This record gives sequence, C-alpha cells and structure tokens, in this order.
Amino acid sequence: MSAQDRVIIKRLPTGVPGLDEILGDGLPEFSFNIIAGAPGSGKTTLAHQIVFANATPERPALYFTILGEPAIKMLRYQQQYTFFDQSKLNTAVRFINLSQVVLEKDLDAVLEEITKQVEKASPGIVAVDSFRTVVRKALGGTSEVELQSFIQRLALLLTSWQSTTFLVGEYVEGEIRDNPVFTVSDGLFWLYQMSERSSIVRKIQIVKLRGQASVPGLHTFRITHAGLQAFSRTLGLAGQARKIPSTRRLSVGIPELDKMLGGGIPEGDSVLVAGASGTGKSVLATQFIAEGIRQGDPGIVVVFEERPQEYAERASSFGLDLKTPRKEKNLEILYLRPLDLSVDETMHEILAAVQKIGAKRLVIDSLAGFEMALAPDFRADFRESLYRMITALTGVGVTILSTVEVNESFTEFPFSTYSISFLTDDIIRLRYVCIDGQLRKIMVVIKMRGGNHSKDIREYEITSKGVVIIGERLTDYQGLITGIPEHLNRSGNHEERSHKPKSKTKS
Amino acid sequence: MVSLPESRHLAQRLLTYEAVAGKSSEPTESAAFRVCAKLRRPLITLAGVAGFRSLLSRALALARADAPSLSKVQLAADGSLKGLDQLEPQIDKEQAGDEGAILIAQLIGLLLTFIGEGLTLRMVQDVWPEAALDSRVSEKERKA
Repeated sequence: MSAQDRVIIKRLPTGVPGLDEILGDGLPEFSFNIIAGAPGSGKTTLAHQIVFANATPERPALYFTILGEPAIKMLRYQQQYTFFDQSKLNTAVRFINLSQVVLEKDLDAVLEEITKQVEKASPGIVAVDSFRTVVRKALGGTSEVELQSFIQRLALLLTSWQSTTFLVGEYVEGEIRDNPVFTVSDGLFWLYQMSERSSIVRKIQIVKLRGQASVPGLHTFRITHAGLQAFSRTLGLAGQARKIPSTRRLSVGIPELDKMLGGGIPEGDSVLVAGASGTGKSVLATQFIAEGIRQGDPGIVVVFEERPQEYAERASSFGLDLKTPRKEKNLEILYLRPLDLSVDETMHEILAAVQKIGAKRLVIDSLAGFEMALAPDFRADFRESLYRMITALTGVGVTILSTVEVNESFTEFPFSTYSISFLTDDIIRLRYVCIDGQLRKIMVVIKMRGGNHSKDIREYEITSKGVVIIGERLTDYQGLITGIPEHLNRSGNHEERSHKPKSKTKS
Repeated sequence: MVSLPESRHLAQRLLTYEAVAGKSSEPTESAAFRVCAKLRRPLITLAGVAGFRSLLSRALALARADAPSLSKVQLAADGSLKGLDQLEPQIDKEQAGDEGAILIAQLIGLLLTFIGEGLTLRMVQDVWPEAALDSRVSEKERKA
C-alpha cells in the first residue's frame, strides 16, 4: 500500500495553546478518548476547551453530565473562562443531564438515551462527564462482560456517527490495567496535580494516542482565566530545521576580549560567564547585548534579580543606552520571578520573546536567579531543561550568554556550581586575585568549542565604560588562578596603581 | 446585571405572553403554571430533574415570603407544581397573577445568580423565540 492509499486522519484543534503540538498536531478526528485525573486536576476545563474550540451549529457538541459537578454550577464556573462562548450555548454546545437515567435505569437505558441524542443532533464532539460515575453505578449490578460490552457499543455508536468522544473521569493510575474503558479508548490523557513543599505543579501526560506520534513524557500546564495552557517538553521546536552553522563572530563590545575570543563569539554559541559576586558578569552581559543592538542584532535579556527599568538604568550608568532599543522593540528585558514557575513555562516565555523580535542575542542573568524562580519540583529538572532550551535556541542561530555565580575558592577554580559546563560552547571566567595588597580582577577564556582562543590571563577593571581590560597578560605572577599569586622576580619597588572611580555595579 | 425588579419585569412579560397564548391553547392552566412547565424542559435537560426541582423548591420558598398563599403550592418529585391552578378561584385574578410573577421572578433570579444574565436570557429566549421579551435582550442579541 502506498502512502497515497492510506486514510488521512483529520486533526482537530484542542483549543489549548501548546497541547496540539504535544498530541502530534491535534486530536485525531472520530477518536474515542479518556480524560483522566484526580479531582481539581482540570479535566472538565480541558473537555470544555476542546468542546468550545470545535463545536458548530452544524456539527454541535453534546456534553452529557452525570452526577459529578452539578450542571448549573459547572456553567457558573466555566463561563468565567475566556474560551466559554455564551453564544454557542444550546446551538453549537448542548448540555444534557443524564443523572436520572444513570440512577434509575441500567446501562442499556443510558446507551439508548445517548443514542437518541446523538442521532438527533449528529454531534461532532461528545463528552461524558463524569463517565466514572456511569461505570461505578454499572459495577453495582453488572458483570464486567456487560460493562465491556456497553463501552464497546458506546464507542461503536459514537465512532459510527463520526463523533470525536471524550469520557471524563476521576481515575487512579492502578486502574489502567483492569478497566475495560482504557482498552477500548484510542487516546488517554492523564492530568496530574502534584504538590512539592508549598508549590503546586500541574502536568499532563498523553499515555496513549492511536494513529499518531505524541510527545512522550510529562508536560507542565497552567490554568489561567483563558483555560489550560500546556508547555511541551520540546518547547514547540520539535522538528524545526537547524540553522546552517554561521562563521560570523559576534563582538562582545570589549575589543580586547574579542581578541581573546579569537575575533568574538561564534554566532549560535552558548557562552557561560562565571565569576564571584561583583566581578562584573552582569556588566559584561549588558555590554554584549548593547553591542548587538548597535550592530543591528535584536536582543533579549532575561533577569530574575532586578526589574527591567532598574536593569536599563544601571546600563545607562555605563553609557549603554538600553531604553531606546526597548522603545524601538529591538530589545526586550524579561523579568521572570513569579512563584511556582515551571521551567518549560519560562522557556516558552523566552522563546516567544525571541520569536517576537527576531532576537539574535540572548542574555540569561543569572542561572542562579533562574533556578530560584522555579517551583522546587522543577529545580531537579533544571539542568535538563536548560539543556533543551540552549540546544533549541542555538540550533536556530541565537547566541546565548548566561551568567553564573561561583563561590570564590582559593584552592580550586570552578566554572559553575551547576555542572553545566558541558552545555556551553565557550566559558569566560572572571575572578578576584590578591596582588600587591589589592583585590584585583582577572579574566581568562577557559574554553572555545569553535576554535582557538587566547590563553592569556588579563587584568580588567569595571569603569564608567563597563568592563575594560587593562594591560597585557600578567607575566610577572605565578598561580594567578589560585587567587593568591606569587610575584616572580620581585624587585621590592613596584608602582602603586591608581584607581578611577567606577560606576555603580550590581553586587 | 439584571436586578430583582428587572427579573420581576421579565417574569411579568412571560406571564403576559403565556396568558395571551393560553387563551387559545389550554385556557384552564394558569400562565404561571405554563411558564414553569416551559422552563422545566430546558432546565431538566441541563440540570436533571433533581437540579430543576432544587431550584424551583428554593424559588418557591423565597416567593412564599412575599406571597404567603403560595404555601398551598406543592412541588412534585418530577419538578412539576401542584396547586398553582387552585390559587386563582380563591382569590382575585390580579393577585393570582402577582403570585405567579413572584414565583417566576424568583426562579429567574436564581438562574441569574447562578449562571448569569447572558446564559439566562439566552435560555429564556430559546423557550420563547417569538416573544420580544425584553428590549435589553433584543439589544444584546443585535450586538452579538
């Protein structure tokens, strides 16, 4: 059979941002699905979102309610969501209460009532909420075979009538093996609500979906006034073509550092700037982004420790104008610090900003702030999530500069507390050294994946012009990277260096 | 937001409409009975018999505070009203109409409280599509 002979399964939109991509391009038409999860996990809201996204007067949605949440209350709460279109009620979306049939009669009567309504309305979407109630009632006086027969007849009816079906129920995971409804279903969407210390994290898993490749794993989602929003683990970049590697070098805005980097940072690289507090990581990052703006590269700065206005003000004290590019939409400063932020949610926000302004440069200042903004549950996944984001963004040609604070040690020379050096193409290390009774700063390029770089250890200062490298490489000292170097061939007389006042820096 | 006087006004409009319609169809039934019966159908579809009965029971209790004679009206298990028709022979017609309006107004008021103005007016309009029930309803429909 050739590809042309295969049936083409039409995909329906879920109406949930991010979920279509997780499902593998939407919901298979005429599929028989289960939305499962504990109370409060968002099952009904998801079902409603799907219903309102697809229902039309010609192919309406029938929403059968059974015992669970009283229909009046369900309408009361669900109409608060922006997707709830009142004009569709009773025309495109019809709510039908089956509680009495379920309570007073048997499964055959339930099927008969559903059949009657389906044949009358010819619905495109059918939802039964809660189907668990039907099964519970049935189990009271029905054999398992009869229950399985009912589910199969129901699936057959709804598929034959070309309806895409959603059975909503409060199931627990242990039921997957024994409950016949899971065997019959084409799709199984499981919603979770997990608590970790004081945080709540919502996740969705596509446990099963016949006929198409969904994205495996647990994906975080959030419920807002607009309903559910899902955040795919692939960050919406699955299958996106990687950009052909560029040979362009990006200036950092510090000419001497550009030379140390062999002409600048290779475009599409991920750079880590590591150093102790006050070594000028944020200043260097700001210079990198400002230089990009000057050269026509739109940029994004993600900050967690200060607000955009403060960040722009601080940049101006180094003579770097970030206010104008912000107004002109060439620069976006994202301040992300709500509680219980999920990594994927943050990544989506960053990606959306990158795509919106066509950013070529991205600064994450800092990784420690990023981690702290996350709900505890997500901190464990931080490295993995960071890896996914960096891979995705650099793959499309964005150059990322991340800052990371390291605890200064005089016995070792760490690059990062996160063991994420493997994620970065290039590492620039800033550190304090004790020289001639002064605490000075040195800079060294540790690694450049894209080619050769200077091995020099250079002294720098933070002045009103930002990070400025001074002098040639320090050849008179041994053990500079320990922080307590020894002077070679000290004559006894050495020149005391004067210090210009520097601009206000972030500690 | 529709206030209680407005829900009373809407109830009165429904009763007037049904009173006129009733002359040609079932002249023995009270207008209030017919309004309740007509609202019963979509509400049972939406909320089930138990859901509708709960709402009407609450509306009846609230209405009795303003119209004590409604205490003679009973609510059957299927959500239908018993005794509403018997009110009329005992008291003057105008007063019976008021009692019916009070009950219907309370029922509509409950719907407004629970599901809001938009859905309530839409439901009422679905039941009486040919009736120009409220100038504000028509205005809303035009805007929609």
